Amino acid sequence: MKKIALIFSVALTVGITSCKKDIKEINKENPGQFSDSDPVLMMSGAQLANVLVNEGEAARLTGIFSGHHVGFDRQFVSYNDYVLTAGDFNTPWGNVYTEGIAQCRIIRAKAAKANNKQLNAVACITEANLLLTASALWGDIPNTEACVDGISSPKFDKMSDVHKAAIVLLDSALSYGANHANYSGAYVGNHNWAEVANTLKARAYLRMKDYAKAAAAAANGIDAGNDLLANHSQATPGAWNLYYDFLDWNRSGYISASGSHMEKLLDTSAFFRNNAKTDESDRFAFYFTDAGYTPLDPNWDNGIFAATANFPIASYAENELILAECAIRNGDATAAIDHLNNVRDENATSTGGQYDDYVIGDFGPGQMVPGTTVNDAITKEILVEKYVSLYGQIEPWCDLRRTKNLIGVVPNKGTKLPERFLVPQDEINANINAPRTAGDLFAPLELFQ
Amino acid sequence: MRMKHLLMVISATGIAPAAFAQAGPGGSSGSDTVDVGTVTVTAIGTTKNVRKIGYSVSQVQGKGLVSSGESGVIQALTGKASNVQITRSAGDPGSGAYIQIRGQNTITGSNQPLIVVDGIPVSNSSFGGGVDGVVQQSRLNDLNPSDIESVEVLKGAAAAAVWGTRAANGVIVITTKKGKRGMSIEFSSTYAIDQVNREYEKQGKYGQGSGGRWVANNANSWGDQIGLRNGKDSINPNGAKFVADDGTVYGTIVRKGDKTVYNDQNREQVFRNGITWNNNLSISAGNEKSNMFFSLSDWNQQGIMKGLSDYRRTTARLNFTQNVNDKLTIGLNANMAKTVSNRIQMGSNLDGLYLGYLRTSPDFDNSDYKGTYYTAAGVPSFNAHRGYRRYLGNGAPTYNNPGWTLNEQTNTSDVTRFILTPEATYKWHENHKLIARLGHDMSTDRRITYFPVNSAANQANGSFTDEHLQETETSLHFINQGTHKLSSSINLNSTVGYLYTYKNLYSIGGSASQFIIRDQDRFAFINSTTENKDPFNSFSELLNNRVYGILDFDVKDKIFLQLTGASEASSTYANRFFSPSASLAYELTKDLKPNDILSYAKLRVSSGRVGVAPPAYIWNTNYVAASSSSGWGDYLDGSLYGGSIYRSSTQGNPDIMPEIKTETEVGADVKLFKNKVSLGFTYYQNKIDGAVLAIAVPNSTGYSNQWKNAADLSNKGIEIDLNVSLIKSDNFNLNLYGNLGRNRNTVDNLSGAAPIFLAGFTGTSSRAVEGQAMGALWGGKWAKDESGKLILDADGFPTASSEEGVIGDPNPDWRGSVGLNGNYKNLNFNLLVETCQGNDMWAGTYGVLNNFGVTPESATDFTVSAADAANIVDYRGVTLASAAASGANGLAVVNADGSITARGSLKDFGAGNVWLNQYWYTSLGGGFGSVAEQFIRDASWTRIRELSLSYALPKAWSDAVHVPGGISVGFTGRNLALWTKFDGVDPETNLTGVSNGRGLDYFNNPGTKSYLFNIKFNL
Repeated sequence: MKKIALIFSVALTVGITSCKKDIKEINKENPGQFSDSDPVLMMSGAQLANVLVNEGEAARLTGIFSGHHVGFDRQFVSYNDYVLTAGDFNTPWGNVYTEGIAQCRIIRAKAAKANNKQLNAVACITEANLLLTASALWGDIPNTEACVDGISSPKFDKMSDVHKAAIVLLDSALSYGANHANYSGAYVGNHNWAEVANTLKARAYLRMKDYAKAAAAAANGIDAGNDLLANHSQATPGAWNLYYDFLDWNRSGYISASGSHMEKLLDTSAFFRNNAKTDESDRFAFYFTDAGYTPLDPNWDNGIFAATANFPIASYAENELILAECAIRNGDATAAIDHLNNVRDENATSTGGQYDDYVIGDFGPGQMVPGTTVNDAITKEILVEKYVSLYGQIEPWCDLRRTKNLIGVVPNKGTKLPERFLVPQDEINANINAPRTAGDLFAPLELFQ
Repeated sequence: MRMKHLLMVISATGIAPAAFAQAGPGGSSGSDTVDVGTVTVTAIGTTKNVRKIGYSVSQVQGKGLVSSGESGVIQALTGKASNVQITRSAGDPGSGAYIQIRGQNTITGSNQPLIVVDGIPVSNSSFGGGVDGVVQQSRLNDLNPSDIESVEVLKGAAAAAVWGTRAANGVIVITTKKGKRGMSIEFSSTYAIDQVNREYEKQGKYGQGSGGRWVANNANSWGDQIGLRNGKDSINPNGAKFVADDGTVYGTIVRKGDKTVYNDQNREQVFRNGITWNNNLSISAGNEKSNMFFSLSDWNQQGIMKGLSDYRRTTARLNFTQNVNDKLTIGLNANMAKTVSNRIQMGSNLDGLYLGYLRTSPDFDNSDYKGTYYTAAGVPSFNAHRGYRRYLGNGAPTYNNPGWTLNEQTNTSDVTRFILTPEATYKWHENHKLIARLGHDMSTDRRITYFPVNSAANQANGSFTDEHLQETETSLHFINQGTHKLSSSINLNSTVGYLYTYKNLYSIGGSASQFIIRDQDRFAFINSTTENKDPFNSFSELLNNRVYGILDFDVKDKIFLQLTGASEASSTYANRFFSPSASLAYELTKDLKPNDILSYAKLRVSSGRVGVAPPAYIWNTNYVAASSSSGWGDYLDGSLYGGSIYRSSTQGNPDIMPEIKTETEVGADVKLFKNKVSLGFTYYQNKIDGAVLAIAVPNSTGYSNQWKNAADLSNKGIEIDLNVSLIKSDNFNLNLYGNLGRNRNTVDNLSGAAPIFLAGFTGTSSRAVEGQAMGALWGGKWAKDESGKLILDADGFPTASSEEGVIGDPNPDWRGSVGLNGNYKNLNFNLLVETCQGNDMWAGTYGVLNNFGVTPESATDFTVSAADAANIVDYRGVTLASAAASGANGLAVVNADGSITARGSLKDFGAGNVWLNQYWYTSLGGGFGSVAEQFIRDASWTRIRELSLSYALPKAWSDAVHVPGGISVGFTGRNLALWTKFDGVDPETNLTGVSNGRGLDYFNNPGTKSYLFNIKFNL
């Protein structure tokens, strides 16, 4: 029996000691994830967040608010009636900060440490792009205290201050030497970062109604053929066009073009744009399809939102139309018409159709492009051309709000277009410095008052 | 280890109800040893006289599990113990179930109790369970209920403290059968029929379409009046067509004329009687030296959904014990199970069964779902899929035809499970014995999810996933038990133990989509191009060790004090964690004169502290694969852009500690009137400090969540267990039994954090909200002014509040059950009625069916005068009069007398009548609108959980066929009747399976009722 007792105690001892892996080490590192990453590897992730913000849900909602799209099915029927709750805005807000701005700030710090100025410039531009878009949607947003370790409730900065901060970032990028297209993981790569930075600056100044500075920045902005394009060349979920994904793949029938202001502009209606120098029928075919799920779908089939159609984040057309608007606001109708014609020329080459050059005599009361005055007619034509050229993008909604809906988009319900996104429910709940209420969808933002 | 289950409440009926293990033979006998008392099994798998325990324990006998007719042990426990809530995920065969004992104890951790089988912890995991996919099993389903001798439910902290950080949710202690002296062979065979127990009603008046007109392929049933059609569809003879596999031709419809309502026919396509064969063989043998129990079982079930819905479990068990000599006993319990099943896609899932089935318009015939599509020019497309959203099968329909969901998609699970428990007991001293026990529990699960080409929506080009899961838990357990006589009146039993456990979970698999060969079903990755293949793997492990001691003092055989302490180290937190507990029982009747009223009384009080281990790998902030998604399915994946790894939005925390639960309970066990009435009462309260969760932080900090010991919860409640022996005679016994449990849970503190999403949708979810019970339903509400009145829009319709809030509580106010069991001569019977009261549920399915115009509610009509019709408007602001003038007969029609009859209803929200029709239901008034509040329903229910009868044939008959032990036949009805106000589905369901989010119904597969017929031979 002693033997057995011995065996038992040996077994016990061996059992206990042999199993003694270092218990503290077991769960230290997650075998499926990493402890750190290279800033170059992080850059394309942050850019994808930027693309998602500018092309995804925020763009779809602003498209409904601006009359580009019609909410046609399910929740989007309510959205079309401008019935939204604070919870509807949680996701884009999270995309902006956790996947975008937070990463950009880490990349900037790491790039500075590694003295990689080119990368630093790209991170600055990406961050500025995100700040500008978020501020256009929500107005006042956290910036100075955002994504700072140790600050648990970042304060909200004024919309105008966020725009100024974005301009400072863009200037930094230019000072780092942004004259290249490196570190463009999410983009096609035809762009030049310095031009992109200038167009984004022009976009910011335009919203601030500082037309002189907008024109000065845009003068060095994106040139023809150099658009900043989100790369959707792979026809697979996770890489293809986000509108395509939504319209055909995941949420078919939720969004329509049928009855939208955009359709009215391109089809026989009181808003129809065709005239002796303009035939929009090719652009109509590029923008819309009747092979979809609703009477008229935004063209995911073989047009602007096709699976492999790249999506503009900042474009030559936008830059030229900023120059055009700044010129006409400065009273220079000739320069304005020149820039407008540049865009019309590009239309003719990209989508086909007739876009003959306008001359000043085409504008004014009783003319081909009517208006109360010549300048009024030119201004409206520039804004409408921008509204149409930037189909699916967020910026036309900014123009509508800035110009008090000068081009006369008819609201879906009531008499007013929505003026802002609601403060997301998640932020209200968790941030003691956030506004206590989600706000009024129809209350104009600081820069658009 | 002799085990006698002489629970008095179980009587000799053979059909055991829930029994609460109460006192033993009562005050009169002056009982002395464990052997003659009623015993219960403790948390570590040893036995103890229930007289001597100072905490409450519910005991259920194995026979009670078997007679319930459930395939799984957990499901069979339902209604049998107070404050033990069991919720099946859905009615699929083999479906998992959620167990909740005395409320919820953690927010993001598991609320599932620890399962201990024969003294070692085993897995009851359930992987998967979101708002879509298939119903997953719980791994405890792998045990054969017929192998089980008894189940003890240890609810309180004191009972379970030796399990330290695994015990916060209670412990379910399962003891399997041992061989008995002599030899017996038992064979039983059960045939069962399952049926759907509750269904949605569908309207049969209005056809597919929108705006009161028929529209082909339209999602809605807001079309024309079916009864006003001319009788026959007009077909374009030169148009495109669909030719079904059986040759039926469906042409291009020019004008809808068919008046047939296909609701019944479409139902026939979906449901059948589920059939189960369960065969069970067991052999028990034993002598002085050894005993063995051997069993084989086969459970073979076809589900109620008419297609690839089945579950087959084959098990084998050998429990063997050998007394080597006076001092040494060696034994082995070995269990093997093979479980193969096929499930049906469900939930928020365009390829799911109920979604496609329930949304189908009443005038659409689903029966032919597969065939060939021919263009007008005659060009064929094979394997075409016809559904109500694409009636010609020209491309994948938006929703699956239910026939396709049931018969073409594959969702298999193939599980192999081994549980091995070798054990040796050595009596190294006359007062001491040492038990050494090794446990090895291993399961593998191969899961295939396959959508053929032309499945709905984004499976249109085919996709499949092949995943292999492997879960292992190894434990080593040493226990030394000693007895000490401290004085003539004080005895001490001591237990010292060491337990080591190591768990890991490994999964590997891949998915592939966009098939290149589109017409052959193969589970092969070569059928996709490289960019459409997505491999994945994951591995996690946990190590923990624990030493514990238990001191049991017995003072004069009437005061019993137990002190326990466990010290534990784990790989998931920084410092050792100590769990103490104490319990005291006082047998009052020992100090009273025997009397006829009070036969026995014990007062008990206990208190303990246990923990919940934090999840693994939350110490650091990790860097993860970059991916951004919008919440609507569209996303951008960094791996398709050259690869991107960036910082996770969840912030780690190196200082994380276990959650600490402290619980106190007081109670009494009383027997009255010569032991005829037994009553147990327990009050408890507990508090959970520092519940670990990834607390929501403002996204503007750059993080969405941070791991913290952030929350405090509490529970309090009462439990009452009752048994009354109404009649006791040689031929006739009748017992009344029942239990009642009530639990109040509150999330006391979330450190000011935002409500935490547990499960559900963006619009409606189950959350943890400060000041509310766990799982609170959360969603959009009506806008109201300060006086609580609805804020109406210009037309008189209510409006949505811009902020969300708490809209319901899925936790019941109380649950209870009452039953009768007994026997009359050879006839045994048991009736169990169970109720659950005061729980809310989100009727997501119903709300959405309103949106589609499928519910009877949406298909009512009303008539108003022409004058009124000019003023009453719908949600668009269109008047009844102008709608009637549009000529759409499904919207409104003008009667001969000028009055107007319209589809929908009139409702006055406070500014006069408005017209609720398509435009209301498809917007704010339907399930896709933002106001979830309107679909919160009372989901209280009462049901006949079980009715069983068994009859032992006269001995002469069984002898005549050489079955010396006897033959018995039995019947069990399960869920025979259900009373609930909840529409359309048995509310005992949960969309998100075994998750902490509760109370959501959204196209869940339905529940069942069953009829079982059993015959048993004892050889």
